[in-house]
Amino acid sequence: MTSTISDTNLDGTGDNPDPSGPQKQRNSLGSLVSKLGLNRFSGLYLLGAFFIFFGLTESNFLQWNGSIEFVLTDKVIVSMLALAFLVPLITETFDLSIGANMALSLVIVNKMALETDLPDWIGAVVGMFACLVIGAINGFIVVKLKVNSFIATLGMSQVIAALILRIHDGGNITAAFTQGYIDFGKRNVFSFSWPGSGSEISLPYYFFFGLIVAFVIWYILEHTPIGRQMFATGGNREAARLAGVKVDRLSFGSLVVSAGIAGFAGLIYSWKFGVYTSSVGPPLLFTAVGAVFFGASQLKGRPNVWGTIIAVYTLAFGIKGIGLRYPRQISWIQPLFEGLVLIIAVAVASRQAVVKVARRREEPPPAVEKSTSETGAES
Amino acid sequence: MKQLLAINNLSKTFPGQVALDDVDIRLGAGRTHALVGQNGSGKSTLIKIIAGYHQPDPGSHAELDGETLLLGDGRAAVAAGVRFVHQDLGLVESLNSVENISMGVGYTTKRGGRIDWPADTQRARDGLDLLGFDDVDVSLPVGALAPSQKTAVALARALHGWEENAKLLILDEPTASLPGDDVERLFAAIRRLKERGVAILYVSHHLDEVFEIADDVSILRDGKRITTMPTAELDHEGLIELMIGHKLERSAMSSQANATGVAGLDVRGLRGGTIHGVDLVVRPGEIVGIAGITGSGRELIAPYITGQIPSDEGSVTVFGKAIPNYDPRAAMDAGLAFVPADRATLGVLPLSSVGDNLTISDLWRNWRRGRLRHNEERAECGVWIDRLQIKTPGPEVPIGALSGGNQQKVLFGRTLRLTPRVLVLDEPTSGIDVKAKDQILQLIDEAASTGAAVLVVSTDTDELVQVAHRILVMVEGIIIDELSGDDMTTENVERSLLQTLKAAGR
Repeated sequence: MTSTISDTNLDGTGDNPDPSGPQKQRNSLGSLVSKLGLNRFSGLYLLGAFFIFFGLTESNFLQWNGSIEFVLTDKVIVSMLALAFLVPLITETFDLSIGANMALSLVIVNKMALETDLPDWIGAVVGMFACLVIGAINGFIVVKLKVNSFIATLGMSQVIAALILRIHDGGNITAAFTQGYIDFGKRNVFSFSWPGSGSEISLPYYFFFGLIVAFVIWYILEHTPIGRQMFATGGNREAARLAGVKVDRLSFGSLVVSAGIAGFAGLIYSWKFGVYTSSVGPPLLFTAVGAVFFGASQLKGRPNVWGTIIAVYTLAFGIKGIGLRYPRQISWIQPLFEGLVLIIAVAVASRQAVVKVARRREEPPPAVEKSTSETGAES
Repeated sequence: MKQLLAINNLSKTFPGQVALDDVDIRLGAGRTHALVGQNGSGKSTLIKIIAGYHQPDPGSHAELDGETLLLGDGRAAVAAGVRFVHQDLGLVESLNSVENISMGVGYTTKRGGRIDWPADTQRARDGLDLLGFDDVDVSLPVGALAPSQKTAVALARALHGWEENAKLLILDEPTASLPGDDVERLFAAIRRLKERGVAILYVSHHLDEVFEIADDVSILRDGKRITTMPTAELDHEGLIELMIGHKLERSAMSSQANATGVAGLDVRGLRGGTIHGVDLVVRPGEIVGIAGITGSGRELIAPYITGQIPSDEGSVTVFGKAIPNYDPRAAMDAGLAFVPADRATLGVLPLSSVGDNLTISDLWRNWRRGRLRHNEERAECGVWIDRLQIKTPGPEVPIGALSGGNQQKVLFGRTLRLTPRVLVLDEPTSGIDVKAKDQILQLIDEAASTGAAVLVVSTDTDELVQVAHRILVMVEGIIIDELSGDDMTTENVERSLLQTLKAAGR
């Protein structure tokens, strides 16, 4: 681009008189896709399809206990990790250390409960604090040392793994918590009878803690200047900086917040299961990251909170249904299903973009010339 | 004189603008032919049509060495024997010369598809030897080479296989980023090629280079070819006369220079890159223009003042308040707002809507009782869209759907919305059509009328003369001239910016 500074007014192309023009001649497939909202609501359609199909074929699928309640509460943890990945992603910063961070807060809170006489909540505070420190170190490495965030956090997750082994190198920790600590997160909020079946409906506190976290992040991203500035930073970092956005501060902050949410996911795990096992944390990374990208194809056409949550639960209910139908094959079907849904959902959402690009190529020369000189602004 | 290339009746119309108007041009075989003209005169368009980047309007005809040459088709041009080196060279800086050349012309392969590196290396050496650049270390990444060596690599790549059919080499602003000594080396290479019978079409802003290297010169002005003549029959003054051709009347701009006020923008001892010490003052209500050819430091002035890139030395004060180096936010808070030069990479937020692009620099204005008031934002954007006559269905449209001129107006809106006391504009009308350009000049004028100190940096001299109260001319990193009042004509400015320090005795 810089090469054209001296001569660009030569290329002064005219105004495209009607910016909405190209959309008018959208082909019929594209128009069907957008009318049905497949480009934005494919997750919800899929979720509905699962409920109808598995609801009719699997008698256990619509049961509260063991099915719906299981999925709703079990996936709070993955949802939190997905949100932890989402926040820095908005500013085009990757945090791959979230899984390790979750394990860190979990091992700390367990270890302190096991080996000290301090109240369990102090362990929770220490665990959260440790994660925030890790987040700040991530931020320092990315913002000050200018290490690519992908690499920095990949490296950091190994550092955290070492830290965890240093803290506890003896397999699982079980039954270390007091009932009061467990109740704080796990006590049921309301309960009533599921129509017809007699089973009792209730959801634990931590489900609502997660909901509150999601709500707060959504609010910050969509309804505050900070969120707007984060999206601007992700779109074009240098342009955002020149527009007065403090891009470094936002990247730093988003990595700290990300680590905090991941740490909180660890606490939720401690309330839900009351144990520490060494296999927790990093293995959840793919599901969380996949949900964020699947979620980015939902509702908005960019990464967003509710799209991410929809993605997590669509996948989870799908897997639940498949597990009920093919209980023996579920172990290999699950990753296959997760991978394929991610690819297909994103492909459907990109369909329009593909059509748009193809059409631009077919336009007559002046327009081609315009698009080549301005794709930087459009892509 | 044997004729090599003949182009007849070449026109090119962009929406709202005639870039080339029925141009005929003839190049002699084995001669170096310079193509000169002001910005917007159509010389780049002409080159881009031959290179196949633009399509010509119907009705043109071209012949190369007696055979019809299809204009607007890059492959046909190369097949017919035309070679190009564009201004940005198109090299991959992290790869070495051998890889860069092979990437462009194809790899030599051995059995099994392995690349024959010794052969490719030899080819690169031969190509560079031909140009007199046998000192290039072909194993170094191109990014580590001297500027003239990089140009030589690009030349070697363009000239690959030249013995077979290369007839015409087109060089577009080859010296734009070269320091003085490197220019001489490039010229030596050009002379060697000429001795071997390659004709050269040379596009440049630097008129002294034209006199040094070219046998013939064609002058374009406003899309028309004014004349073609042997360089020997022209002098510097005469060439400028032909390039400018007419005096432009200043159209009515309402703001008045207020030369007695305090300094709005005060820059002292600014150094960095190609800038070797610049002082300048802009007073409230005043519009000061900065002119200079590419490489004179003109293109760095605004980035240094506004904090886009860190300067080495110097102070920038806004109404008595010093602003820190390399901090656009601090500059904005002090009242200095700016529109950067490169709209696509430095201005526009591509994923955001028109409205978000407008409001990004001050979002807290519409923040009330704990949330952004989206309705108030929409209403405010509507006002700006009307005021700047931005053609958009609404503020929620993605910015990419707008034309370049309208995107630029959005960026102006973003800046003016801050009610800046100092406004710095870098190439404010680059790449936009005539009408939008006029509106933007009006906005600049209005901003000054309301008391802002305005600095406009531009390669478009006519535009500077039209809008500015004073013009500062940069040559080789310093401000060499200040023109105002009746002296401030396009002709005088162009004459001034083509000086050299040596010639001016500085």
